[in-house]
Amino acid sequence: MRKRKNWYFVLGLILTALSVGYSALGLFWTPYSSTAMVGADRYALPSLAHPFGCDHMGRDVFSRTLEGASATLTIALAVIVIGFMAGLVIGALCGYYGGAADAVVMRICDAIAAFPSVLLGLVILALTGPGKYNVILALGILFIPSFARLVRGEFLKYRDRDFVRAARLMGVSPLRILFSHILPNTWPVLLSGLTIGFNNAVLAEASMSYLGIGVGPGDTSLGRMISEAQSYFTTAPWLVLFPALVTVLLILGAGMLGEGIRERLGED
Amino acid sequence: MAEPIVNIRHLNSWYGKGKERRQVLRDVSLTLAAGETLGIVGESGSGKTTLAKCVLGMVTDYQGTLQVNSPRPQMVFQDPYGSLNPARTVGWFLEEALRASGVGDRGERRARALDMLTQVGLTGEHYGRRPGQLSGGQRQRVSIAAALIQGSKLIVLDEPVSALDVTLQAQILQLLADLRARYQLSYLFISHDLAVVYQLCDRVCVLYHGQVVEEGGLDTVYDHPRHDYTKKLLAASLALD
Repeated sequence: MRKRKNWYFVLGLILTALSVGYSALGLFWTPYSSTAMVGADRYALPSLAHPFGCDHMGRDVFSRTLEGASATLTIALAVIVIGFMAGLVIGALCGYYGGAADAVVMRICDAIAAFPSVLLGLVILALTGPGKYNVILALGILFIPSFARLVRGEFLKYRDRDFVRAARLMGVSPLRILFSHILPNTWPVLLSGLTIGFNNAVLAEASMSYLGIGVGPGDTSLGRMISEAQSYFTTAPWLVLFPALVTVLLILGAGMLGEGIRERLGED
Repeated sequence: MAEPIVNIRHLNSWYGKGKERRQVLRDVSLTLAAGETLGIVGESGSGKTTLAKCVLGMVTDYQGTLQVNSPRPQMVFQDPYGSLNPARTVGWFLEEALRASGVGDRGERRARALDMLTQVGLTGEHYGRRPGQLSGGQRQRVSIAAALIQGSKLIVLDEPVSALDVTLQAQILQLLADLRARYQLSYLFISHDLAVVYQLCDRVCVLYHGQVVEEGGLDTVYDHPRHDYTKKLLAASLALD
């Protein structure tokens, strides 16, 4: 039996490796300081010294995308870790046990999901104030319902399977049944859900920073760069082009990787 | 007389909740002696699976006397494709049963899992395989191994061979008979197939609409059926042979 080449997986892996590597680089090294302003370099076109050019304040765009990408990546990862962990626990318990508690929790999730997320993010940030950690917290909370719903559906599907019944008869503890027996079967769906969640987190961070309620003015993030660059779109398009390109690369890679993972694990 | 391993007296059981709740078992009485195999026969909906679930403690909505004198009775399920965890290896699954019963030593668990595989006619090469890499017959052997590995003396067999073809049926039935002798097991054998019941059971109990309509030794029931329903069942299974 010849396996079809899984192009989504291969391409997704390459793109993800590139964009994550790029973002990781920004954590440790940038050619210039991302905040150093050089008056003579204002609106400098891309060149050997400044591969992505310079912005309206004479800051190196390459350095800024490096740092912005690492900030965006960290925020997106932290957001899906919070959303996924909480969603996993809530969804697993609701799906496996069901009953009245499940109904109540799911209605709460519905209520959160029915609210426009940007609006809800605004409310949370209005209460906590802007800043990187508050953005993570706000988005993390917003991401819990969708993960909980996904996980719940999967656990609901498996709770009455014979192999789960067999485990119960053997006296396996409920916690082990949840996370050692059922969970491994749900990875194909959960992993592709995670990559979609990652994409949404990148976009959500970008749109919140774009709206000016994301990371603080001193911080750099891809969304903030795009937001600042929009006024110079006609005069200095490279200011918006490069951060947008890095954002697309990040999202495209994760999206394709998710599709590839599902194809790869779902074949069994 | 030794105490029976299962003693059921006037058992009534219900399925569903609220308005949907309906009675499945009506005044069922039966016993299973240690070392004995009792066939529970009936069509789908007759209540035989509910009866099995009562014995296993999976159904709790019942009234009457239900004594099970065996720690942790186990079940072999009908569908060998659903009863094994697709994400785990055979060895992991067998060892999980041992972990659940408190066998702490990794080496001992492995040794006992490997031993149990040979007891059911498999080999160490199946230890690391996942269910997807096994045939239906091999999977059913693994299910049987998993049911036995905790040392349970009472095993409920829920149509264990009806998903298999005839040659495999004979092999699995032979294996069940061998294991019964080797480990002094008692079987509650649920089936709709009287021909299969005849090969393995000592006694048979016919369920019809949740009631026991006939119960006795194989010869009595097969040669001199009293109830019309038993006669019909016999005629149907003979016609298939």
